[in-house]
Amino acid sequence: MSLQATELTVEPPAAPTRRTRDALGRYLSRTDGVIGLAVLVLFGILALIPTLLVGPLQNVTTATGTPLQPPSLAFPFGTDELGRDLLNLTVHGARISMTIGLMATLITVFLGAMMGIVSGFAGGVLDAFLMRVSDFFLVLPTVVLALILAPVLLDLIGPDAELFGIRSTLIVVVVVIGLTSWATTARIIRSQVLSIKERMFVDRARVVGSGSGWIMRRHILPNVVNLIVAQAVLTFAAAVFTETTLAFIGLGDPSAPSWGQILNAAQSAGAPGLGAWWYIVPPAACVVLVVLAFTLVGNALDEVLNPKAGGRR
Amino acid sequence: MSAGVRGRRQWPLPRLADPTAPLLEVEDLSVRFRMREGSVKAVDGVSFRLDDGEALGIAGESGCGKTTTALSLVRLLPPNGRIRSGSVKLFGIDLVPKTEKQLGRYRWREIAIVFQGAMNALNPVQRIGDQIGEPIEVRLGQPREAARKRAGELLDLVGIPKQRASAYPHELSGGMRQRAMIAMALACDPAIVIGDEPTTALDVMVQAQILQLLERLRRELGLSLMLITHDLSVIAETCDKVLVMYAGKVAEEGPVNRVFTAPRHPYTKKLLSAFPNIHADRRTLDVIPGSLPDLRNPPPGCRFAPRCPAAMAVCREVVPPEVRFADGVRVACHLYPTPDATPNLDLALAGQVPALDGEVAR
Repeated sequence: MSLQATELTVEPPAAPTRRTRDALGRYLSRTDGVIGLAVLVLFGILALIPTLLVGPLQNVTTATGTPLQPPSLAFPFGTDELGRDLLNLTVHGARISMTIGLMATLITVFLGAMMGIVSGFAGGVLDAFLMRVSDFFLVLPTVVLALILAPVLLDLIGPDAELFGIRSTLIVVVVVIGLTSWATTARIIRSQVLSIKERMFVDRARVVGSGSGWIMRRHILPNVVNLIVAQAVLTFAAAVFTETTLAFIGLGDPSAPSWGQILNAAQSAGAPGLGAWWYIVPPAACVVLVVLAFTLVGNALDEVLNPKAGGRR
Repeated sequence: MSAGVRGRRQWPLPRLADPTAPLLEVEDLSVRFRMREGSVKAVDGVSFRLDDGEALGIAGESGCGKTTTALSLVRLLPPNGRIRSGSVKLFGIDLVPKTEKQLGRYRWREIAIVFQGAMNALNPVQRIGDQIGEPIEVRLGQPREAARKRAGELLDLVGIPKQRASAYPHELSGGMRQRAMIAMALACDPAIVIGDEPTTALDVMVQAQILQLLERLRRELGLSLMLITHDLSVIAETCDKVLVMYAGKVAEEGPVNRVFTAPRHPYTKKLLSAFPNIHADRRTLDVIPGSLPDLRNPPPGCRFAPRCPAAMAVCREVVPPEVRFADGVRVACHLYPTPDATPNLDLALAGQVPALDGEVAR
């Protein structure tokens, strides 16, 4: 203990490092967190280097198999109606699905947390205004908004433009998911902020001399971090689902297969009727696995970040 | 004495400070709260003085304006509270006409507060070292590392090992949390520390430790203390002077030993006899019948008259003036029209106001 004390006083920057290591240790001691993280890392690798793992994305001309082959040694996941290797498609789909999920989650959580904290903390006219705005986005149906926004955005940025290596049709999907789901997050966080800002330590912070920005950053935000993490996990799951939905009804990018895109293709090829279960199971299982992994990670993070829950010292 | 104490300061005095002026001089302070049903005269014409290194206790029942008086010194009132009149002179500088921005120089840097209920006043998800360092960062504009270092020193000062700076509030005991609150109050090396019921939620042993700590800090740092409490024993133990308030007015003020051994105001007497006394026979405690008057329309005369056992006709019509006695005690009661007059006991209801001297020592 005394050794740690000297470390603290002599070398102040050592303190945060020790704290971080501490939190990491507690995270790694949780089985669910480790399993979730492992699954996410696996899918992360798939998303990063699909070409190295399964070769370039196959299309009609480069298809290696014959149509609708069941799983075999050569094609562990079988083939689709064009003879493309489903393993190849599923692995390549990871990149699109994960990227869309992550970006949509970032937009949603960032917008939602900021709006929720500012709205709840400021109160009054600003609160009323921001909440009416959120009401507007809350009632927007995702699919209809996507149908309307897709041509508008495509026109704005051009159909072949790329942003961080993502084609514009996918950006539409990200924007639509972000726009329709930040309001829920904002509402949930606002309601928590309303209760926290009445707590005495907020008054104390004000008396001590802290301004509103400081209080929101240093006192309110840490108190809603667990909500934000939980929301992020839920949003990621919802985003992957929404992307699947949008792709399924044909609003995805046909040349960049996501898991939803594959499911859509399976449906239009009549896979269920033909008994081609191998066409449906891999992408669906991937969606479920990633969402489950995110939930596990979110749970573990919540326990680690919340000092009260993790307190076994 | 006064120069010596101020010489210990870490940070310079405000520019306009008058070195010869008393530390704190409050004159005729009145505070109103605007409510839908009318304005509440929470503090009405209160005057007192606090010198360097002195401890002043403010006593009175709940709702009599103790906390409002203390908080209005640096205008920390709720939004509907206003100082109507009077002056608050710190180092001879009147704080009442200052703007909010100008007051920032005095809040926490000159007058700091130890809040009641430390658990609620601490952020549950922030480490206490960071919370203690917060005033150093926001008031003194010091970088975070310097604030952390100073927080460690402050923890040492209040008797908590430095390493506990990285603990969360729920990992500390109630007494340690209150110590942390005291450390936070000392962060900017203030001239005055206001303790707003600092020991209320603590058990007797811890209460004694906290009071000893405050006493030690007062001696070592040359602090001046204002203790707000309804626990008279706390005041008797730690304070030099006591201010007894009733319904927003000063009932009696003076040196603790004078006021507690020879209370003059009937309210002070009642308050003291409502408190358990180790020397007294085992008996049921005295209670003061009735409750505080409605401060939206206070009684026209003395505010204690409706509950006073010694009330006279004049008490219900004329507000009693404050009279200062030779021994430094100030009393606002019609029983004492002038400092040298012996109270007219015939007018008082015989037997209900017992002999004036030695009533508590009985």
